[in-house]
Amino acid sequence: MARNSPHPDPLPGGEREKRSRATGVFALVLVAVLTALPAFAGVTQVKLKLPLKPRLPLRGNEKIALAPFVIATEAEKARDRRLQNVDLQAEFQRFLKKQIEKKTKLEVVELPGDRKLPSQNLSELGRSTEYWRALGAETGAEIIVSGSLEFRVEDRSGYKTEEYVSPIDGRTYYRQVYVEQTGFLFDIVFLVFDGRSGEKILQDQFKDFRQTGGRRADELQGLFENLFSLENQILNLFVARDREAERYIFTD
Amino acid sequence: MAFGAVLILSGCTSYSRPEKAETQIAFGSDVARRGLWREAAFRFERAVQKEPNNARAHNNLAVALEAGGEFARALAEYKRALELDPGDTYIRRNYARFAEFYTSYTRTTGKATGGT
Repeated sequence: MARNSPHPDPLPGGEREKRSRATGVFALVLVAVLTALPAFAGVTQVKLKLPLKPRLPLRGNEKIALAPFVIATEAEKARDRRLQNVDLQAEFQRFLKKQIEKKTKLEVVELPGDRKLPSQNLSELGRSTEYWRALGAETGAEIIVSGSLEFRVEDRSGYKTEEYVSPIDGRTYYRQVYVEQTGFLFDIVFLVFDGRSGEKILQDQFKDFRQTGGRRADELQGLFENLFSLENQILNLFVARDREAERYIFTD
Repeated sequence: MAFGAVLILSGCTSYSRPEKAETQIAFGSDVARRGLWREAAFRFERAVQKEPNNARAHNNLAVALEAGGEFARALAEYKRALELDPGDTYIRRNYARFAEFYTSYTRTTGKATGGT
């Protein structure tokens, strides 16, 4: 004989199943959160501003002469029309002078525009002590900056593999697509000389590469993208700069 | 300055058991997040005094010293933290980033470096 339960279940079977499934999911999420918690609890990320010492031991108010730089891509200029649109020497000198005058207390000494370098070879330039000493005496500059510049515009266009989900069958396929891109490469070698002794006191190199969409990206814009990204490193040769850094600290 | 004083006073009332290293760490990390690094360094130093073998306290002290420009001391504290807990990912990451910075910071002037 079937007996009636004293506390009949108020929920129909389907509803009861739904509830028990929801409780199960909730319990699983809770377990996952509690398991993951110790890994994250008690640690936080903080930002610091770290000082970068100037690379050159300067007082800060020296007279500085900006000598011409060797243009490493000069020979390619005749063949590459895009390089013909950029007067690299003039643009870089103008950029460097402006940055030094704006962000340091150094006094920039003007050099005659037709000043010739003793050599187009970087190593020989570094050894031309007599030349740099004479230039220092002539201009009164305590430090002289020179070096080499390389700027290249590269056509990076080409076929690239791309993932493609078909709207018809929803499956993923791979296809080749033609992407137009231009790359700008900038490479500077700095040579810094003591204007009194003519000795080389520092050699440093900075490189930057930028890539933009489109084949006809503007060369000058590309050049300045490179220069602005190197600005902090270039100025750090002469003055202290800040660098932002991230660290972890424990909170308990 | 007044804000800092108020903050520290309010912090002292909420962290009512200053004798424990973890209380100092909690308070120190709180002020560190607000950029008060000198106070944070002081708190972490106290935590290290209370528990010299607490890797977390040494790590936090290293970060606070780094923020204050005391790099040589920061290096020693990072090394101590790693010595005490070589498996901790956060301490290892901090030390690696600090080492990268410190190496470039101490690079001798007048030497060719060849690269960015």
